[in-house]
Amino acid sequence: MLVQTQSVTFQRELRLQSGAVLPQVTLAYETYGQLNQDRSNAIYILHALSGDAHVAGYNSSDDTKPGWWEDAVGPGKAFDTDRYFVICSNVIGGCRGSTGPASINPVTGKPYGLSFPVVTVADMVETQRWLLDYLGIDQLLTVTGGSMGGMQALQWAVSYPDRVRSAMILASTARLSAQTIALNEVARQAIYADPNWNHGDYYNSAPPNAGLAVARMIGHITYLSDTSMRDKFGRRLQERERFGYDFNTEFAVESYLRYRGNAFTRRFDANSFLYITKAMDYFDLSYGLPSLADAFVTAKAKFLVVSYTSDWLYPSWQSKELVRSLLQNGLDTTYVEIESDYGHDSFLLEVDRLAELTHDFLTQLAPALHQTVSTPNHIAANP
Amino acid sequence: MSSGPNIALTINGHRLDHDTIINIVEPGTRVLDLGCGDGTLLVKMVQRRQVVARGVELSETNVRACISRGLSVRQGNIEEGLADYRNKAFDYVLLSQTLAFLDRPEPVVREMLRVGKHAIISFENCGFWRERLRALRGAGAGYELCSGEPRTRAISLRQFESFTNCVNARIERVFYLGNTHPIRVLPVLRAVIGVYVITQA
Repeated sequence: MLVQTQSVTFQRELRLQSGAVLPQVTLAYETYGQLNQDRSNAIYILHALSGDAHVAGYNSSDDTKPGWWEDAVGPGKAFDTDRYFVICSNVIGGCRGSTGPASINPVTGKPYGLSFPVVTVADMVETQRWLLDYLGIDQLLTVTGGSMGGMQALQWAVSYPDRVRSAMILASTARLSAQTIALNEVARQAIYADPNWNHGDYYNSAPPNAGLAVARMIGHITYLSDTSMRDKFGRRLQERERFGYDFNTEFAVESYLRYRGNAFTRRFDANSFLYITKAMDYFDLSYGLPSLADAFVTAKAKFLVVSYTSDWLYPSWQSKELVRSLLQNGLDTTYVEIESDYGHDSFLLEVDRLAELTHDFLTQLAPALHQTVSTPNHIAANP
Repeated sequence: MSSGPNIALTINGHRLDHDTIINIVEPGTRVLDLGCGDGTLLVKMVQRRQVVARGVELSETNVRACISRGLSVRQGNIEEGLADYRNKAFDYVLLSQTLAFLDRPEPVVREMLRVGKHAIISFENCGFWRERLRALRGAGAGYELCSGEPRTRAISLRQFESFTNCVNARIERVFYLGNTHPIRVLPVLRAVIGVYVITQA
C-alpha cells in the first residue's frame, strides 16, 4: 500500500492552553481508504510519543519500513481501509512534518528551539479539529490511539463531544501518574546533560544524540515487562561466549537498548522529545475539577477501554479509574483487560486480539450508521 | 451422572430460567447483568425485549465474547462494588445463577437494590428433594469436590427468603422452576431453581 504524506498549513493563530500563541500551524497527515458518501466512516488514529503521520503502508516503492501500526491498519486489518477512511497526523511539537521546535519561526526566520511555546494534549487535539474541518468531516466514527494517542482520543471525547461517535482508548490514562512523570523527567535530564543540547539551540551544530539515545533507552525499558525482557534477552551475551570484564556491550539487552537508542536519533529531534513528554506530564483531564468524573460530564461517545496485564507504565488501575469515571456519568463503556506479557508495547504487538475487538466494536457502530439520516451540523472548512 | 444439582435444562435452545427472567423484564428498559458470562442472556433480552443492556464479567474471554455480540461490558469483579453506578441507574439488575459463587452476597445484593429499581436473582434450590437426598446419603451439598467448580454456597428457598429481610428487601414476585415447567405445589421441595424479583423495602 503506497501512501503519500500530505501537509496543510493553517495561516491563522493558534491560541494555546498556556495562553501563548503560534502564528501559524502546519500539520503533516496521511489518509487511507475512501471517505463514504455521507462522510460517516472516518477514523482518526492518534499516535504516541515517537509516532508520526505515517501509520501504515509505504511512502515509496523502495521504502524498506512500513508505517508504525502496519499490523493494524490496511485492507482487511483491524482498521480496515476497505471500509473506513483512516486519518493520522503528526502532533504539533513533533518533528515529523508538523510545526514543532525544529520548525522555522516565521517571525525570526530561525528555528524555534526553546522559544517554541509549550503545547498540551488539548492543543494537539485543537489542531486535529482544524484538520477535520479542512477535510470536511463533521463527525468521526471513532478516535483511537494507544498511550499518548489514547490521551488525545480522550481529549477529543471531552473537548468535542459532538464530533466523535466513539473512542477506543488503549494502554492509556486520563491523567499521567507520578511514576510516568518521573520517568519522563529522567529522560529529559539525559538530554539536558548532553553539552550538544546547548539549551535547545543546536540546529546549526551537532545535535544532542547521546542524550536523546539515553532518553530513548529509558523509554524502551518502560515499554517492556520483566517477563518480556527475560523471554527476549535473559542473560544472553551478544556475540561472545564469556564475560569480557570490560565496558563493551556484552549483554543482549544492552545491545538492544543501544541499537534502539541510536536508531531513534536518526529520526527524532531532541527538543520535540522534551516538548511532547512535557505535554504528557501536563495531561490530567481532572485538572481544576473536583473529580475525574466531572471531566466527562459533557462527553457523549461510546467508549472502549483496553489495558494490558503486564503494562506497568500505564497500569490497569489507571484504565479502571477512567472506566469508573465514565460509568459515573452513565456513559456506554466497555472495558477489557488483555492478558499479555509484552508490557506497554502490547498495544502494538497484541494485534490479533485488538483486531478482533476493533472489528466487533466498529461493526456494532456501523449498522446504525447506515440507518441514521445525515443531519449536517456543518462547520465550515476554514484553514 | 451430574456433578451437581440439576440445572434447568435447555429445551429447544430455551432455558426456562432465562425465559422466565426475560418475561419479567419490561421492553425498552435498562438492564445490568452481573456476572453476565458470554452474554447469552443479555443478547436474548436485547433481541426479545429491546433492552439497553450492560454487563459486568470477570473473565477476559467472556468479555471479548460479549463484545463480539455487540454488548457493552465492563471487565471486573462484581464484589469490588457497583459504587460507580448511580442510584436507580437501571430498571433491573440481574444476578443469574451467580449468588452461590459470591464470597459476601449481602453487600452485593444491597448494591443491586440501590442501583436497580428491581433486582432479579436466580439460584439453584438446595432444598430440592434430590439435593436433600444426596446430602442425606453423605454426598454433601452443592457441587462435588472433583467437579472443578469454584467454591459455592448451597442456598435454599427458605434461606433466601429470610435473607431478603436482612438486606431490607421486599419480594415482589417469585417463580419456582422445575427442569421443564414451573412448580406450583411444594416448591420448597420440588423447585430446582428459584427466580426472585426484589426491591428496596
